[in-house]
Amino acid sequence: MFTYLLKRLALTVPTFISLMFITFVMIRLVPGDPIEVRRGERGIDPERLEILRHEMGLDLPIWQQFLSYVSDIMHGNFGVSLVSKTPILEEFLKLFPATLELTLCAMMFAIVLGVPAGVIAAARRGSVFDQSLMGLALTGYSMPIFWWGLILILIMSNTLGLTPVSGRVDLIKYFYPPVTGFALIDSLWSGQKGAFWDAVRHLILPTIVLGTVPLAVIARMTRSSMLEVLEEDYVRTARAKGLSSRRVIGVHALRNALIPVVTVIGLQAGTLLAGAVLTETIFSWPGVGKWLIESIGRRDYPALQGGIMLIASIVIVFNLLVDLLYGLINPRIRHG
Amino acid sequence: MADVTLEPLKAPPGPLASFWAAFRENRGAVVGLVILSSIIFCAVFAGIIAPHDPLEQYRGFTKLPPVWFENGDPRFLLGTDALGRDMVSRLMYGARISLFIGVAVMSVSMVVGIALGLSTAWFGGLYDVIVIRIMDLIVSIPSLVLAILIMAVLEPNLMNTIIAVTIVYLPRYVRLVRASALAELPKDYVTAAKVSGVGPLRLMTKTVFPNCAAPLIVQGALGISDGMLEAAGLGFLGLGAQPPMPEWGAMLADSREFITAAPWIMMMPGLAILITVLCINLVGDGLRDALDPKLRRS
Repeated sequence: MFTYLLKRLALTVPTFISLMFITFVMIRLVPGDPIEVRRGERGIDPERLEILRHEMGLDLPIWQQFLSYVSDIMHGNFGVSLVSKTPILEEFLKLFPATLELTLCAMMFAIVLGVPAGVIAAARRGSVFDQSLMGLALTGYSMPIFWWGLILILIMSNTLGLTPVSGRVDLIKYFYPPVTGFALIDSLWSGQKGAFWDAVRHLILPTIVLGTVPLAVIARMTRSSMLEVLEEDYVRTARAKGLSSRRVIGVHALRNALIPVVTVIGLQAGTLLAGAVLTETIFSWPGVGKWLIESIGRRDYPALQGGIMLIASIVIVFNLLVDLLYGLINPRIRHG
Repeated sequence: MADVTLEPLKAPPGPLASFWAAFRENRGAVVGLVILSSIIFCAVFAGIIAPHDPLEQYRGFTKLPPVWFENGDPRFLLGTDALGRDMVSRLMYGARISLFIGVAVMSVSMVVGIALGLSTAWFGGLYDVIVIRIMDLIVSIPSLVLAILIMAVLEPNLMNTIIAVTIVYLPRYVRLVRASALAELPKDYVTAAKVSGVGPLRLMTKTVFPNCAAPLIVQGALGISDGMLEAAGLGFLGLGAQPPMPEWGAMLADSREFITAAPWIMMMPGLAILITVLCINLVGDGLRDALDPKLRRS
């Protein structure tokens, strides 16, 4: 196990180096001068431009800029946002809990609905329920989520007035300090009446929108995995023993059917973070996805660079953990 | 471009008949194919059948609802957008753009993916490691975030959208081809071909590759729809095809501010994306059932 761990860790090193290289090079290739963009179209006096360029280290040879970039990252310094002048890491960590809260809720939503739906569909294979569920799942999988978000806003918020249109908190009514950064926990913690319910109401639509595609994937995967397992001998044995159908499906079959489902769930981290960019943009959710899009508009190179570096690092580390977990569960993988 | 999507159906007659029989069993796939064909028809002949110019602004007819609403105008079947442009015509031209993006992304990433996959499987060694590491890196960045990064560097337009989405989807094909080629290489028929003196290029393309093709075709069909969704997402964020081009994602973004006053403007492009993507996925399912019995959903 230890050698497997070392081997797997060593494999991430070149990935990280090339990640730094690519983020560095690509951001430098962006057309337009960051200083001029930041100062608007008015011509800046060339002397002052030189001073600013020097302050930002934009006058050094490109390889020197790269080396200082790498060493900065090694020291946990992801640069300073050109716009807000705060360190990128600080800005990112302030916004990340919002994204994490949203993605966790979306994942829960997808698992809680998707696994039972897939199990029931498999148990009643060919039934109307099965067929309509699979139709729905394929529709969900094909859904442009940015449109889905607008439809839900139109129905739930604008027509029925059930949920707020955007944001995480109703700032006019509630204010609570970000202790953990998770609105659900902070609002409970603050003890303000109605604050928690307000946080929940803000979360509902973004959760549904972000969870739709994973929900469809999980439901489809659970169903096909269940169908495969139900053909196995041990399921027939369990049935022959006279166990109830509920017990056979819920205990004997489901446990084994869940292995590929867990794999699929593990693979959704990247999908969720990508979806979060769109979801956050639609709902003005103050997370890293929206921040990233705004950074492009402001041509905030360091923010983009640092943000993508951090997001990709999170996905890499998450995939590493998932891999290690499989190694623990399934010895065939770590010896493979 | 219509020909490209329909290519699998134009295989030689013998296998075609059996393929069609298997494909026809899946009713959803047939329905999807029929609807998809009409969308392709609209896209190809948009220049002839579209009632209006997609960019023409009819000043007196802005935000008209579809014809079945009270104040709809029969000249504008699905209504007009905020600038008075005809929705039907814009959707038809939009189909052209979206399908073009999907097919272009699929073909380029498939061709490059096949080349990289076969060559890594054949050469192995350092080359293999480097290519696979790069693919791992691409996969480790969330698809849309990577596309955003690429679009931030390149100017946002149609061509660059295709480039960005192609890069995002390249790893799928490389990994798929490489894995199936590696599974085929130790087999006896490959050894036999080697012994009879077949050169590496011919061996990989003529002997090994046809046996890797079935999952690749399925992946290709799904790749078209994924590419379309990704490109529409970029368009929606303002990083894809630029207005006034009638790209479905960009049309959606334009309509956001009229969501309460004129919700149908927002409804139509999204429905168009959903229906097209859904039909392609239905056809993809049918292709999988017909081509790859091992993957058949039971």
